[in-house]
Amino acid sequence: MLKPGDAAPPFDLPCALEDKLGRMSLASITSDLVVLFFYPRDFSFICPTEVIGFHKARAAFAAESTTIVGVSVDDAETHRRWARELGGLAYPLLADEGGKVARAFGVLDEAEKVALRATFILDPKRIILYAVASPVNVGRSVGETLRVVRALRSGKLCPADWEPGTNVEPTDAKY
Amino acid sequence: MAALKPKEYRRNFERLGNIREIVFGIQDGVLTTAGVLAGLSGAVSVRSQVILAALASTIAGALSMGAGAYLGTHAETAVLRSELDRVRRESEEQPYVVQDSLIESLGKEGLTREAAYRVVKLLSSSKDVLFNTAEEKLYGLSGATFGNAMVDGFLMGVAFLIGALVPLVPFMLISSVHAGLVAGIATTAVTLFLVGYIFEGRFSNERRPALAGLRFLAIALSAAIIGYVAGVLIAPIGAVPVG
Repeated sequence: MLKPGDAAPPFDLPCALEDKLGRMSLASITSDLVVLFFYPRDFSFICPTEVIGFHKARAAFAAESTTIVGVSVDDAETHRRWARELGGLAYPLLADEGGKVARAFGVLDEAEKVALRATFILDPKRIILYAVASPVNVGRSVGETLRVVRALRSGKLCPADWEPGTNVEPTDAKY
Repeated sequence: MAALKPKEYRRNFERLGNIREIVFGIQDGVLTTAGVLAGLSGAVSVRSQVILAALASTIAGALSMGAGAYLGTHAETAVLRSELDRVRRESEEQPYVVQDSLIESLGKEGLTREAAYRVVKLLSSSKDVLFNTAEEKLYGLSGATFGNAMVDGFLMGVAFLIGALVPLVPFMLISSVHAGLVAGIATTAVTLFLVGYIFEGRFSNERRPALAGLRFLAIALSAAIIGYVAGVLIAPIGAVPVG
């Protein structure tokens, strides 16, 4: 699995976005940060809360100039139907059929040929700032991802449990 | 013949699940009693004593086999139910794991992932329906898996008794020990063939039921012959000089 400081592998994949099919490349994303989250499969009972969670928090991420991108090994048409099933998604689901991109990020389960539940946050130069993978029975926290995005964009040294508005002196014991 | 309804199918499958006890009981009853008759006929000169010993062996065997089947099924069912309860508790804590496993299972059986998801979503509207389906599809458990200890014990005991009577009845009816033994062994062979012919051949719609009968006869007799030869070979070990 790639780690903070590694360059994100470029990609150009088919995608489903707002009930349409298209393509999306990493190079085409213009926002400051990118939240790239991998999940195992569409039409699953394990991932939908996260997928919906990112959709519900889209405005908060947009306010931080952050693009959300979901990736799984399903094809774009399946993504489109899955997004419909979930009530519509305002961010793209990328079709990484064959798992090439997941493998490049080091998050492909080679036995099952599906992506792990991994989240990466990329900086403006598309260097990985943050990388985390979750086990199958623990859902990701969209709120935590947003908190990390805000912390990264604050440009400050952020202590544990930092939240926007927290003012901490460098000598604070929390560091 | 009128088509069977699903509930009748289920009862039928559960009844077929008892074929093991019937076949096992008959085969064991036939061979054990034939062995007792053959062995005692050479060792005991009084015919009535041979018959008494064979009857005692039959009664003891039927009770032992019946009790063994009862206890075996009872223990197996208790362990399976306990394990099932544990799995059910785990499943209730992580239903999505069961749901996704069901999607995988249905997918392997031919449904598209999307169709499987919709089926499982429907099943998930009832917790019991979801977990019962998981028990059948994921863990291979069904009503037929949980045997009825009383039924199994009764069938095994009765099957043994019937099997034991096969060589015993001709032996009792024919006054000559030698002729009675020959008749008993002949009926034993015919019965073993018929058990294979009927249960393996006819019931399973095998193309050549006679072959199934011969196979059953050959396996059962081979076991008996190997057992006899082993007995002859180890007999000298147990021979203790007297005086």
